[in-house]
Amino acid sequence: MNPKRVVGALLLSLLLCGCERKQPELGEPLANLTPEQRAQFQEGKTVFQRVFVPEDGLGPLFNSVSCAECHEHPVLGGAGDEVEVHATRFVAPDDCDPLFQEGGPVIQQDATPLLRARGIEKEQIPASATQQARRSTPPLFGFGLVDAIPQATILSHEDPDDANRDGIFGRANRAIDGRVGRFGRKAAVATLFDFNAGAFPDEQGVTTPLSPVENTIDGKPLPPETDPAPDPEITVEDIEKVTAFTNFLAPPPPQRFKKREDRTLAKRGQKLFIELKCAVCHVPEMKTGPSPIKPLNRKTVALYSDLLLHDMGPDLADICLNLAHPSEFRTELLMGLRVREQFLHDGSAATVREAIERHGGEASRSRDGFKALSDKDKEALLKFLQSI
Amino acid sequence: MRRMTLLMTIILAGALTLSLQAAEAQAANVEEIKFDLVGHTMGGREKSWKFQSVEQIKELVIKDIHMTEDGKARICTIALRLQASRKTGKYAAEARVEYARTAKGWRIKHIGLLSLEKIE
Repeated sequence: MNPKRVVGALLLSLLLCGCERKQPELGEPLANLTPEQRAQFQEGKTVFQRVFVPEDGLGPLFNSVSCAECHEHPVLGGAGDEVEVHATRFVAPDDCDPLFQEGGPVIQQDATPLLRARGIEKEQIPASATQQARRSTPPLFGFGLVDAIPQATILSHEDPDDANRDGIFGRANRAIDGRVGRFGRKAAVATLFDFNAGAFPDEQGVTTPLSPVENTIDGKPLPPETDPAPDPEITVEDIEKVTAFTNFLAPPPPQRFKKREDRTLAKRGQKLFIELKCAVCHVPEMKTGPSPIKPLNRKTVALYSDLLLHDMGPDLADICLNLAHPSEFRTELLMGLRVREQFLHDGSAATVREAIERHGGEASRSRDGFKALSDKDKEALLKFLQSI
Repeated sequence: MRRMTLLMTIILAGALTLSLQAAEAQAANVEEIKFDLVGHTMGGREKSWKFQSVEQIKELVIKDIHMTEDGKARICTIALRLQASRKTGKYAAEARVEYARTAKGWRIKHIGLLSLEKIE
């Protein structure tokens, strides 16, 4: 080989090594943000950590005093061990009422001292609710990338009539205004901004210019003098700051096993994940659309979800939400699965293995396939799931 | 007697004209607000409504319009009937629309969702 070419190749590889940016760690912002965007991330982080008290807006009914109280494990923006309560009304075959006028679907589990002094310690399940549900706190890593996936990409995975006869359907949920839903366990929320705008009133009882009145208590107005803070209690800019934080929060870096046998096992697990058709719903990758934010622009996101609703069987069924029937759930994102300590939408599974074994409905065949695997293959599949 | 009848007729006609003009103005206001709402979002999470088209606003009734004391903002309280599609259902909402005075005229600053209920 020509010595000049060897030297050139060496220089090129050195250059490439030098250019390779370190992947952000958990809780860090996306790489390649502008200094202004990094500043927005930091500002949003401050609002995310802000602890509300009754005098500046907390409650009177609430679930938590800050965003960070729930999204904390293993770092800020992660999962949490809090489990909240939701309730809606479902009348077969298709009528779902989120019971907004009766305080639904989020039923607050705590109250400020002024409200407790009136004998109200939490919100009650609305009388007309037919189902209730428990919801665990999901990690938010990489959610900006999920937000940037075009609606058309999500819809391209739909198979509402099971045209390919694989027993797996998949349909998009819709927000009440008709937009394609993607956030929340039932995919009833269209955007990250919408989710954050509603999280303040629903979780902290903090009013905003977009939701300027306090939630009712079981559908009734607040007793007088139980809400000392004037409404709205935060600004739209505060919502935008928190949205910048969640938008720019980097996805979990892929786990790189040090031991060769672990890498081999995970690779075998990845193959089984596809063979068992887990990847039909837990779609490994999607691509974001055009975005003015460079690290969100046409990027591949390893979300491991199709963001569609699937029937998970009667054992997991709980509430309806918009188009989602009680037994339908959005395919859970497996991105960051390894940082979670409880599994399934309600946190009721203690291990990933238990969560897989409790899949039903459209996932029954894949679940049975998993159960039929040898111990070594089960270990391989679980090892693969530890890597994402 | 004739004079009295004539006077009454004139007064009634005047009142009718004024109320018709008020109704026309109200209708024009309603249409203007509908257009203004498009592109804005109110509420949050499951209660978010982004106004994507005028067609989603099946009914809009102005309940109150007033200016703030400093004259910099105009507040409209409206009752709405909203529907995106037959599948997603029909909703009754009440909202407070805050307009701010800008160099280009009155522009919506934000829309506060006051109440929301699924009605169909």
